[in-house]
Amino acid sequence: MINVDGLTKTFRMDNYEISAVDDVQLNVQPGEFILIFGRSGCGKSTLLGMLAGLIRPTKGVVRVHGVDIAHLSDDDVSGLRAKEIGFVFQFSGLLSTLTVLENVLLPTLFCTYSPSSGLRALELLEKVGVLDRADAYPHTLSSGEMKRVAIARALINGPALLIADEPTGDLDVDTEFEIMELFRQLNHEGTTIVMVTHNPDLVPYGTQSYYMERGKIVGKPKTSSCENLDLKSVSHLTTRDLT
Amino acid sequence: MKKKMSFQSFIIAGIRNKPGRNLATAFCFAFIAANIFSGQYLIAGAVGSVNQGVSRMGADFIVAPIEYTVLLRGSGPENTFAIVKTLPTVWRMNNNRMDTIGNVQGVIGISPQLYVATINASELSSLPVDIFGFDPETDFTIQPWLRQPLKNPLSQGEVIVGHQITGDILSKVQVSNRSYTIAGRLDPTQSAADTTIFMGLDDAYSLAQTEGVVPLSAPRISRGDINAVLVRIQPGEDPDPIGARIRRSFPPSQVTVIGRHFTLDPISQDIQGLPGLLKIISLVIVVATFPLIALIAAMVTHERQREIGLIRSMGAKRNVIFSLVIVESLFLAAIGGIAGVAASLIAFLLLNTTGILNSALQVSFRQPAVADTGYMAGIALFVVIAIGGIASLVPAYTSSRMNPYDAIRGEDR
Repeated sequence: MINVDGLTKTFRMDNYEISAVDDVQLNVQPGEFILIFGRSGCGKSTLLGMLAGLIRPTKGVVRVHGVDIAHLSDDDVSGLRAKEIGFVFQFSGLLSTLTVLENVLLPTLFCTYSPSSGLRALELLEKVGVLDRADAYPHTLSSGEMKRVAIARALINGPALLIADEPTGDLDVDTEFEIMELFRQLNHEGTTIVMVTHNPDLVPYGTQSYYMERGKIVGKPKTSSCENLDLKSVSHLTTRDLT
Repeated sequence: MKKKMSFQSFIIAGIRNKPGRNLATAFCFAFIAANIFSGQYLIAGAVGSVNQGVSRMGADFIVAPIEYTVLLRGSGPENTFAIVKTLPTVWRMNNNRMDTIGNVQGVIGISPQLYVATINASELSSLPVDIFGFDPETDFTIQPWLRQPLKNPLSQGEVIVGHQITGDILSKVQVSNRSYTIAGRLDPTQSAADTTIFMGLDDAYSLAQTEGVVPLSAPRISRGDINAVLVRIQPGEDPDPIGARIRRSFPPSQVTVIGRHFTLDPISQDIQGLPGLLKIISLVIVVATFPLIALIAAMVTHERQREIGLIRSMGAKRNVIFSLVIVESLFLAAIGGIAGVAASLIAFLLLNTTGILNSALQVSFRQPAVADTGYMAGIALFVVIAIGGIASLVPAYTSSRMNPYDAIRGEDR
């Protein structure tokens, strides 16, 4: 589904260059739940940005369904992103003047219009557990509810891939658990997910987990099963265990 | 529950997001629109007032049978007042002379008048009332004095009455047992026109045939008879040579050509300076507010860069971002423009009704016609919408070229 080869991104700072992502290889198969974690500044968000076509790589290729998005025009990448990629950020990014339902429907503006979008939005809100807040405005929602709405919004156009950039970074443990359970449920239903986090406790949720350091993927732990996983029971896992 | 999202609701949501800021932006647009509209409105009102004054000066010449000069002896041969109507005389001529007058070089308008009779009718006026026939289609001396323009061209059975004639618009007046509808009323002319009833020539000829209307001592009135032809000449032309040419067009001792010896040129020149001044003021305001609006547009897009990055991450293309910024600016410009024009119009109506405008301008302000007002409002709206569009071009382009990931993370750095 996604094939990353020799992916590199360097930023020029005054007289020297910083490699945010350095020669990364990665393969994502349909139905996988990829977790990439590492410390702040290790390059994981930049990697996600390149996977979504939001950042142009300095070197290397990112193939989505066999198409190298690094060499597509900006409009073509946008079109592909609208249809194939849903993005969830650490912040909810909900527009305060739109209702929950309108926020979920927002990405349909940038995709081919479908009369069933409204129905699908309601189904998604039901799936993420906030259907009763469809007419509410974001400021009345809890952090967890906002995140659920953001996930529903990322899924509205039926993307093949859901990319999440530290989606639980600003949540308390209980809410984080709820959101991760939601991701797990979506993954079980067939959604391919690539998520970055700095929290090693979440490793068991992934079908594949990678550790990044200084722009490189430096570790690849064994596949974990997250069936019947209690988030609190895996809190003993540390970064060292995974490298 | 609304199950569809549209660009329109998205734009409105964006505007609602920062009501104070958008209100300030709309206010800037309203200020520009009000300025442009007010300038035009003032010019049109003042020019309209002068034009009305000019049109009410009546004819440049009156061409009448030679005997007419008898009436003028004692007061001099030159008419120093506005020529609105001819004097009530029984000396007439045939209307076939009109073609000759109309063909004289420099003449741009001719209209016939017929004096029918003078009646005493206390129900109409305490003074004797003159009955005149005129041609409403070619007339340029009587109708400019109308208090309100006629709703329809004057038709058979309808009359225009002088200021001192009793009767409301659409009410009936009786003249020698004939009934006429009052279609219009003149403003005070301080002349005999104030006690005159004007009717179409056909009605005048019919009335003249009625027994007892024209005194037995006076010659009978036949169809085609007229008392005088009122003449308008090309503005700016020297009237004396034209008057001489009219005289030479007829055999000696047949007609007299009487002119007036004053013009409104000085006033016209004064008023001509006003539009230029107001245009300069409008231009200064537009030039001064343009950078402000451009700055606001740039601030708005900077402030919304995370939102722009977000919708780019959802798949919005560059042209969509560009269009959203432009349309939002155009929307604010349109709202502000309409508000500015409406506020100005209301202010003008209030100031005009209370008479403050006339005393402030030191000139009678003539409210422009509805169509002209609509045209001026359209110009003002067009200008502010154009300013809104142009001022947001650079911010729209910058936003559309913004790297989405940088835009999203911009507020975190």
